[in-house]
Amino acid sequence: MASVGQPPSLKRRDAPVSREGDQLIITPLGAGNEVGRSCVYMSYKGKTILFDCGIHPAYSGMAALPYFDEIDPSAIDVLLITHFHLDHAASLPYFLEKTTFKGRVFMTHATKAIYKLLLTDYVKVSKVSVEDMLFDEQDINRSMDKIEVLDFHQTVEVNGIKFWCYTAGHVLGAAMFMVDIAGVRVLYTGDYSREEDRHLRAAELPQFSPDICIIESTYGVQLHQPRNIREKRFTDVIHSTISQGGRVLIPAFALGRAQELLLILDEYWSNHPEFHNIPIYYASPLAKKCMAVYQTYILSMNERIRNQFANSNPFKFKHISPLNSIDDFSDVGPSVVMASPGGLQSGLSRQLFDIWCSDKKNACVIPGYVVEGTLAKTIISEPKEVTLMNGLTAPLNMQVHYISFSAHADYAQTSTFLKELMPPNIILVHGESHEMGRLKTKLMTELADCNTKIITPKNCQSVEMYFNSEKMAKTIGRLAEKTPEVGETVSGILVKKGFTYQIMAPDDLHIFSQLSTANITQRITVPYSGAFGVIKYRLEQIYESVESSTDEESGVPTLRVHDRVTLKQDSEKHISMHWTSDPISDMVSDSVVALVLNINREVPKVVVESEAIKSEEESGKKAEKVIHALLVSLFGDVKLGGNGKVVINVDGNVAHLDKQSGDVESENEGLKERVKTAFMRIQRAVKPIPLSAP
Amino acid sequence: MGTSVQVTPLSGVFNENPLSYLVSIDGFNFLIDCGWNDHFDPSLLQPLSKVASTIDAVLLSHPDTLHLGALPYAMKQLGLSAPVFSTEPVYRLGLLTMYDQYLSRRQVSEFDLFTLDDIDSAFQSVTRLTYSQNYHLSGEGIVVAPHVAGHLLGGTVWKITKDGEDVIYAVDYNRRKEKHLNGTVLESFVRPAVLITDAYNALHNQPPRQQREMFQDAISKTLRAGGNVLLPVDSAGRVLELLLILEDYWAEHSLNYPIYFLTYVSSSTIDYVKSFLEWMGDSITKSFETSRDNAFLLKHVTLLINKSELDNAPDGPKLVLASMASLEAGFSHDIFVEWASDVKNLVLFTERGQFGTLARMLQADPPPKAVKVTMSRRVPLVGEELIAYEEEQTRLKKEEALKASLVKEEESKASLGPDNNLSGDPMVIDANNANASADVVEPHGGRYRDILIDGFVPPSTSVAPMFPFYENNSEWDDFGEVINPDDYIIKDEDMDQAAMHIGGDDGKLDEGSASLILDAKPSKVVSNELTVQVKCLLIFIDYEGRADGRSIKTILSHVAPLKLVLVHGSAEATEHLKQHCLKHVCPHVYTPQIEETIDVTSDLCAYKVQLSEKLMSNVLFKKLGDYEIAWVDAEVGKTENGMLSLLPISTPAPPHKSVLVGDLKMADLKPFLSSKGIQVEFAGGALRCGEYVTIRKVGPAGQKGGGSGTQQIVIEGPLCEDYYKIRAYLYSQFYLL
Repeated sequence: MASVGQPPSLKRRDAPVSREGDQLIITPLGAGNEVGRSCVYMSYKGKTILFDCGIHPAYSGMAALPYFDEIDPSAIDVLLITHFHLDHAASLPYFLEKTTFKGRVFMTHATKAIYKLLLTDYVKVSKVSVEDMLFDEQDINRSMDKIEVLDFHQTVEVNGIKFWCYTAGHVLGAAMFMVDIAGVRVLYTGDYSREEDRHLRAAELPQFSPDICIIESTYGVQLHQPRNIREKRFTDVIHSTISQGGRVLIPAFALGRAQELLLILDEYWSNHPEFHNIPIYYASPLAKKCMAVYQTYILSMNERIRNQFANSNPFKFKHISPLNSIDDFSDVGPSVVMASPGGLQSGLSRQLFDIWCSDKKNACVIPGYVVEGTLAKTIISEPKEVTLMNGLTAPLNMQVHYISFSAHADYAQTSTFLKELMPPNIILVHGESHEMGRLKTKLMTELADCNTKIITPKNCQSVEMYFNSEKMAKTIGRLAEKTPEVGETVSGILVKKGFTYQIMAPDDLHIFSQLSTANITQRITVPYSGAFGVIKYRLEQIYESVESSTDEESGVPTLRVHDRVTLKQDSEKHISMHWTSDPISDMVSDSVVALVLNINREVPKVVVESEAIKSEEESGKKAEKVIHALLVSLFGDVKLGGNGKVVINVDGNVAHLDKQSGDVESENEGLKERVKTAFMRIQRAVKPIPLSAP
Repeated sequence: MGTSVQVTPLSGVFNENPLSYLVSIDGFNFLIDCGWNDHFDPSLLQPLSKVASTIDAVLLSHPDTLHLGALPYAMKQLGLSAPVFSTEPVYRLGLLTMYDQYLSRRQVSEFDLFTLDDIDSAFQSVTRLTYSQNYHLSGEGIVVAPHVAGHLLGGTVWKITKDGEDVIYAVDYNRRKEKHLNGTVLESFVRPAVLITDAYNALHNQPPRQQREMFQDAISKTLRAGGNVLLPVDSAGRVLELLLILEDYWAEHSLNYPIYFLTYVSSSTIDYVKSFLEWMGDSITKSFETSRDNAFLLKHVTLLINKSELDNAPDGPKLVLASMASLEAGFSHDIFVEWASDVKNLVLFTERGQFGTLARMLQADPPPKAVKVTMSRRVPLVGEELIAYEEEQTRLKKEEALKASLVKEEESKASLGPDNNLSGDPMVIDANNANASADVVEPHGGRYRDILIDGFVPPSTSVAPMFPFYENNSEWDDFGEVINPDDYIIKDEDMDQAAMHIGGDDGKLDEGSASLILDAKPSKVVSNELTVQVKCLLIFIDYEGRADGRSIKTILSHVAPLKLVLVHGSAEATEHLKQHCLKHVCPHVYTPQIEETIDVTSDLCAYKVQLSEKLMSNVLFKKLGDYEIAWVDAEVGKTENGMLSLLPISTPAPPHKSVLVGDLKMADLKPFLSSKGIQVEFAGGALRCGEYVTIRKVGPAGQKGGGSGTQQIVIEGPLCEDYYKIRAYLYSQFYLL
């Protein structure tokens, strides 16, 4: 069912119609066998969705973007952003403003509020040349108008794509998206954590099992230590370093986990009065700005924090002071500094690292996942020397501790989550390839008896699946008064809205849908000064049914042709015709008009025409002649045989055609079929059209 | 056949009584709204008491007394024990409204219908949903979803879906977008099987938009003349909109008259409202997203929870928004009595008073010259009364202790206490308890202790389990320190810095209510009747935030339900709307009486078929707005699992009458034709195209639900080229099937 392969191109959208409509394609444009620039493309039944739109923190400029050139941005219906982290949301302004994308973008309220602050900060901080800038502040502001918000659990429908989101843990406002297209459900977890911490709820377990689960695999098969142990290690390291007169550097993402660590530190300081003279700095003006957001969207946080709000604001720290830049920082004696960025690529955390790294009294606590290719990742393996920002090398003497507080699921959480959800297909993204591989193997053994497929596509590698979608329709209204037996026919209007089908009688259309039907009555006046009887006479020659009567109101004579078109003698000079529009009536009316105009022109010839009545026999003969002539023109050698049969000779092959029944006898099958079809068509052309309609 | 749907009104039909309706869907009983009025008359709940125990789920639509006031009483006294569903703001603001009601009542009478604990336990069983969250009721195949109603924060239009058929309950919705709320989304639902809606405003038409100027003029005139303005308001509903309007007006004209918002729960209300931005209108969310500017950081309004604070306020003209819009009791009542006799003052009503209340009397035209009111006060017992009271208490304690020990014995016999069953998930109860105790504040904790020492045993109907830890939680632990003066100082700073403080209630409430009534000190109510000369100015300006008669009709004809049930509204309004709907909306309009069960099961026939691949590959859809349509002729077959399926037809399709699909608007046709170079003008209801040809729409227009839904269009003209050209353009407006 599922296969991995390189499709020719994802841009081809309109070509597949029926069969291929059931093909579901998932392609990671980023975060496939890597961490960073999350972006997953999905398409099913002509609907396309993009999950997340991040950048790779280890690269800059265009290289940091997901592989957008693999897709046609204008074809995307919906773009869903799980949370505000740069690797999930930072290429959004670029995608919205610099590509042909014209779909709709959704994220949660808290994500949107922080997104703006975070990206504005990102633009300011990132020191790249103007050409390399992916977007500027203007782009961010413009993108804000296009982003729509949704609340957790709120179901939104766009073009027949239904989606809603669940709490994901991880950071404030983080969501897992469930998408439902024509009954096929796909869950995209984004980054999630099943562990409740100081301020966030744990990720929810969706009440429906999805058909496909696209899940992060950041921590692979690793297991987290219990939270209290991690917290203890963290505070112990800080405690001992401070006691020895050292400085502690905590490089962290400005938002998200930082808030959690600050809550821990503030609480620890409150419980240890002896530290009250040791400053804790939080070097992020951005985080300060975001506090209002943290204070407003408490509905997205857990009960614990909501109860604390009742007394005082837990995010109003008593022992932590903000630090705007390194110039304001007087480096005297022990201190604890939390600074961004978390990867030590540049900025304040790097500046402090360069100053402190060669003193062995100092410590650096790396509190979360670090991306491959960043300095933070390098120093975890404790090299002897590091390269400073100014290009020089320095010995790395400071202690490096890696205590993960990052709210990503570990193996235990992932496997329980998957076991409870039991999705038949699992796609792993957002993980280094070896971690991902190990996770895959381990999950395979654990879920061996469940027939689960686990796929780990690389970037731009498409996963194709087929879903046998049964299209069900509901027959309603008058049409459904009786349930039909097998073999009977059902005729009606098939109405498709989104992915639901209904069949109904035309009269019910306005009841069950917003559509309405119309009748167009046409009334046309034709100048005619002859006798009304002449028209009747002429019409009878052409049409089988011509009824004459008199109009009830005005008493003028009327004619009704085939129960469709009514002619009325309005005055000496005019007749009027009226009928209800439909193709056949229009045709009948046209012929009547032509006839009336003809009479006008040919008044003197009336008598002449009257001679031309042909008996049925004569007209039959005439038809025969025509048929013969047409057959000759088609086959050439056509002779009349006995018993009303025609003998056709084509290149030595002989066919006998029975003109009465249309049967053909011939030894050559090809000729036989051709003659048969030809005769049938001629027959249809020559014989009058049946006018009987319901 | 369709899903069976029955509707039984329990209160609030053909009058303006509180709303409460029983809707039964395939035997599953929903109680939609559970309202009471400001009189708290138990006889109104008579019909509810008969069916309370059979109810399977309760849905709440708005956070005011009329929509949820009876919930605590019904839970405690009437045996209602179903899960309750509402949006987060309805839950939270509803809870605060009930506190305010209770505290106001308690102040002036021996109010014993329910207690603060009853309110807490009633609201404990509320499941909170977000807008358009499809909540699947397990095992029933029923999905309930709240949708935006406007009117009040969190206000809900409920959609109940079973087997693809929608039952929609929409009362008190507002179509207009307001300062803090979006308009209702009711219009996005089309052709629901059943729509239950109110006729409350059917006869009212909103005055034109100058009402805003009138409102502002009236206020500023009185204040400038040195008078005071009283706005009797609800506790946590429409008042939010009024606060924003006043804030804006004050800022715009840089007025510096003080505005006071006085309810027992005002500070917690605003604290919570600040964290409900997700639920508010677009403009508010937007301003927060871009500038992190919370609209409910009120700059000109002082929040008061205690009347003495108002009395201590500096003299001079002021504007007070006080709770209890009905003036029956509470702050607004007291202030009215004080201010009514001064001609300089203004009492400004922003909503129609409930039937039979003081507010309603004053809104009469002409207003009464004088009204009789009862002034009541709660005073502590002294002297002999106190001694008598204490003796009585000791006696009661003994009796209760005796009773309790008996009950306990019995309970211990039954191995499983009912409480355990009720609580279900201990975590949930725990969390809510903690929450609730934070909400209801200290005095309440104090009372608990007394009760428990008395050996009080909760009645078996009570949902609230009273575990010992509950008491500890609220009394001795963290919360014991809540009444720490330092905390308040910080809080005041919070206010000053306009920082947001969200979450629980803050100390002010504790202090206030503690000093008011709920301390354990024995007290009694002293009443005296007096006649108040109404000399002050009385003005009514409609700020109810409900759709008016005209927009109700527009919405109804747009929604065009297959069956329509009208409730809530005076007999006159109900009858008026019924006649209107019969003519213009749908032929099935029901106006049931109280306790009259009507069956609105849809008489819709339907069966399901599978559309085979073969058939679908031959169908060519035409796109029309959201819809795609096609004509199908198919033969019925069966699939392996016995489903009916449609296969392509083997014989040539029988000819069918052609259908023109499309909605022609003459107004749209005109510019279209003129864009094609034809001279068009409207003349006598017809569209004259060119010199001779006319296009007309004939027959009944407007009604969509029943009768002939087909538009009749007539095109007339003499035989000429133009005629055929125009006809072709006309055809291009339709799809031919």
